[in-house]
Amino acid sequence: MVAAIPSAFSNRSSRALIPAVLLAVGVLLLPFVRPDRPFELFNWDLVALNKATWLAWLLFTSSAVLSVLSWLRLPMLARGYALIGISSGVSITVFAWLASTSSYFGFGALAALVCLLLVLGVGLSETGLIQSDPFIASSIVLCGIFVTLFIAFPLFVVLRESIIVNGAFTLKKMAETLSSPLFMVLENKFTPRSETTIVFGIATAGAVLGFGLMFLRKARVQLLLGTTLAGGVLGFIVGAGVFGRGAFATSLYLALIVAPTTVFFGLIFAILEQRCRAAWVRRILSIVGILPMITPPFVLAFALENWFGAQGLITNRVFGVDTNYFKGVTGVAIAQILAFTPIAYLTLRGSVQGLNPALEEAAQTMRSNPWMVFTKITLPLLRPGLAAAFLLTVIESLADFSNPILLGGDRSFLATEVYLALTGRYDPNEASVYGAVLLVLVLTILGLQRAWLGNTSFVTVTGKPGSGNFSMLPRWLENTLQGVLGFWGLLVAMLYGSVFYGSFVKIWGVNGEFTLQHYIDFSGTGLEVLARTAQVALVSAIVATLLGFLIAYLVTRQQFFGRSILETTSMLSFATPGTVMGVAYVIAFNVGPWLLTGTFIVLVLALVFRNMPASIRSVMAGLSQIDKALDEASTLLRAPSSTTLARVLVPLLIPQLLSGIVFAFVRGMTAISQIIFLVSPGNLLATVLMLSWLEQGNLGRAAAMSTVMILGLLGMILLLFAFSKRFSRNGTGLEGIG
Amino acid sequence: MNQTAVPVRLENIVKRFGAVTAVETVSLELPAGKLVTLLGPSGCGKTTILRMVAGLERPTEGKIFFGSDDVTQLPAYLRDVTMMFQSYALFPHMNVFENIAYGLRVTKRPNDEIRERVAGVVAQVGLQNLEQRAVQALSGGQQQRVALARSLIMQPRVLLFDEPLSNLDAKLRKRVREEIRELQQKLGITSLYVTHDQEEAMAISDLVVVMKSGIIEQKGAPRELYQAPVTRFVADFIGRANFLSGTYNGSSATVGNYSFAFAQPIQHGNVTVMVRPESLRVAKDGIGLEGKMHSVAFLGTTTEYTVDTAAGQLEGVMAGDAPLLAKVGEPVRVQFANEGVYLIQA
Repeated sequence: MVAAIPSAFSNRSSRALIPAVLLAVGVLLLPFVRPDRPFELFNWDLVALNKATWLAWLLFTSSAVLSVLSWLRLPMLARGYALIGISSGVSITVFAWLASTSSYFGFGALAALVCLLLVLGVGLSETGLIQSDPFIASSIVLCGIFVTLFIAFPLFVVLRESIIVNGAFTLKKMAETLSSPLFMVLENKFTPRSETTIVFGIATAGAVLGFGLMFLRKARVQLLLGTTLAGGVLGFIVGAGVFGRGAFATSLYLALIVAPTTVFFGLIFAILEQRCRAAWVRRILSIVGILPMITPPFVLAFALENWFGAQGLITNRVFGVDTNYFKGVTGVAIAQILAFTPIAYLTLRGSVQGLNPALEEAAQTMRSNPWMVFTKITLPLLRPGLAAAFLLTVIESLADFSNPILLGGDRSFLATEVYLALTGRYDPNEASVYGAVLLVLVLTILGLQRAWLGNTSFVTVTGKPGSGNFSMLPRWLENTLQGVLGFWGLLVAMLYGSVFYGSFVKIWGVNGEFTLQHYIDFSGTGLEVLARTAQVALVSAIVATLLGFLIAYLVTRQQFFGRSILETTSMLSFATPGTVMGVAYVIAFNVGPWLLTGTFIVLVLALVFRNMPASIRSVMAGLSQIDKALDEASTLLRAPSSTTLARVLVPLLIPQLLSGIVFAFVRGMTAISQIIFLVSPGNLLATVLMLSWLEQGNLGRAAAMSTVMILGLLGMILLLFAFSKRFSRNGTGLEGIG
Repeated sequence: MNQTAVPVRLENIVKRFGAVTAVETVSLELPAGKLVTLLGPSGCGKTTILRMVAGLERPTEGKIFFGSDDVTQLPAYLRDVTMMFQSYALFPHMNVFENIAYGLRVTKRPNDEIRERVAGVVAQVGLQNLEQRAVQALSGGQQQRVALARSLIMQPRVLLFDEPLSNLDAKLRKRVREEIRELQQKLGITSLYVTHDQEEAMAISDLVVVMKSGIIEQKGAPRELYQAPVTRFVADFIGRANFLSGTYNGSSATVGNYSFAFAQPIQHGNVTVMVRPESLRVAKDGIGLEGKMHSVAFLGTTTEYTVDTAAGQLEGVMAGDAPLLAKVGEPVRVQFANEGVYLIQA
């Protein structure tokens, strides 16, 4: 038990005074509830006094009591418990009232709850239950509530909806969905052969192969069993992907094709960057690194179709074939490989650059030839990086929405099935089952990664670069790899170029007459929607960056109960496939007090919680460069944490914050899967509009919008690079002294 | 002496980090206006105690008082304590003036007062004309002074030092530590200093507290610790020492064949005899511990030598210019001087 602190400097006015006063103001002036979706800033009919008189008076009374308690110089400990008791009791009452009357919360109720939570935070600080100052304690409470409400709660709802239909627990929906041909089917009734037998035959062959390979190497029993099982599973996936149908089989098969290929290309590019003599290679690669960020969804897919589809320029015009072969796994795989190779490259880049050349030189002095050095030294050192890149692309491939929806043809995919179940078949429970499957799949993969790699850093050798230089690649290999990169670059240039070209001609590939008509058509609704999108993206980028900054600061610099839970939960949204998060928001925020769907706010929130993990990571990296003694010095010079943040940490992290906002904005502009369910007539977003144009066949208009977006986003990123270069040249470095 | 200086009292402080106990029931009083040093190897809990006094850590059990105020639960930013960090922790985005003025700015003092007080403290630590420099542009010693000025300007009730000299080279370290001592005595601020360097501790402190594995081994004035260490750990940590097993009968002590008159209030029977290297006396013959000269090294100011005896190898030191009585390999007799010998309970 903590004793009360005597006299002199213990009995102070409380920081809870301001939120306590604001509580009354908010309740008095702001509309407490909404009759419908839109939020209103002023409406006398809707304030608490007119809607729930007794609740309003309860809130006024508690505001008065809290204000007086905070203003008086009382013993901190006793007052702290009083603040906790009153604020938590009253906020539970407010919530219970909202829930029991099925009212939609308005700004007034929101303000009341936020103020009460702030008071709660101050109380937790004053009692020492959270051993930090009031600002930190309040931040912990608020961040915890936000993350619970907007990440954990929606995901929980998806899992719940998959087993609770119309309020009753049932596994029927689950069984129905999982046994439907859309999910997985092996047997094709219209062929004489038995596909099931073939698939299980391939699975057995895989298992035997896995067993045989390890048996020849005389591996341990566990490893033997493991590879046998893995061989069987992989064989089944390949078999089911080739001979079967259904979202589950197709998505896994696709991931199995895409992930190794992208990692292979990514590795080639990363090594080429480090060990190639030609300067143009590095120049091309620096563009490659930016591309995936600024490319709106669908662009690659529909450009690919223009070139290689049934009516494609190359397939149809040059070779004269009219085939639908491209639609399906092939097309999606090619599109994904093009889209995700830069991601694999960026992931592997860190590991490759972290290699210590001295290790390879040591191997060379021990008479290893270059191939032996590569297979015995370089590859093993890169293993964690390769695994990370592999798993990341598996997750990206499973979660991808835009390529399958355009190029999927008659095949179904998990991420698109979530969408089709909800918007096509109007079955939220079926959508939830697909969402739950996808979520469990991704979390299993992440779990495997954790178990396999532990928490080890993906950069194999960190710290100071070792002395020595990497030997350059042999000439023939360098030329071959440069050829690969050149071909890749040509393909990508061709694809982007065709979008650009297509926006200026009448009908792409048919009528090459120059026209500005697409831009004129686009500017009709397009500009307005683009402006709205920019607005949503900007607000969400700023909120995501600031919230991400606060959470990163809390979990790295403060100690409190539940710290690792806060960190894990905030990172969870990063792993959650976009369509799952989207469907979760639709289901979770469509009823009850938390009605948010159809508003501007829900779009912002969806993007905030999607982009926040990236901000958290970048700020964490920045904070780890700043000596913790700087915070402590500031604290001991009598700065409360909020002052330390404002005067020391924020100024030192301005480059990170700025790039965080820009990147979050860019990602927000190009987001599709998480917001496609959430747009509403008044809140249409650019990517969704583009999809509808593509579906209607307005390809030129879509190309015009893509061109505008690519150029705009590219401009922003180049501006950021220029700015951060200037900043790092003139400004102070990030390192603390000493 | 400073009239406002307060004593700091730690009562039965325990600090656990999970299953690890960093500090085990420590009670300690820092007299008002004095400089007390916590001395010990790394991991002995000295820095944890310092951080608890600062408020950067809260004790698991026990209480901390500044004067009569219980500050145990008081957050760090309200404690009126400043600290000099090992890394200096200067704010890299502020110049010298802004670094020093930071605490006054944060507490919203008027600009005139800030300018006046910064000028005063800058003169005190000798940083005149450097106020507008970027802190990165300063030498290590100057950065050190900025850190000191930044701490002093707040006129703290307690001043803390967390190994502040370990990033300086040996010569500068000696000078800065003298300056710190001088300023601390002049200003009379109650101070707690943490170091693992025993010479630094001896030079700077009114009171030295030797710690080991989270508990206090011994506390006392530097001279007292050197002359009368109560445990072998303290004797070994503070200065160098030879340890010999022997017996004590109330009026004389015996090691091997050598008995010498000695009086110390300690239980009779088996004891460990501690002898400082400078207290060995070597003779060709006569009374003394039988031995053989093993090595001699002339170091300029001093000469160091070792003697092999039946009780073990002894290390000795004598003035550099003293005549050498025996060559390496020759038999010698070793006697102990009156000073620098102390009995420790075996």
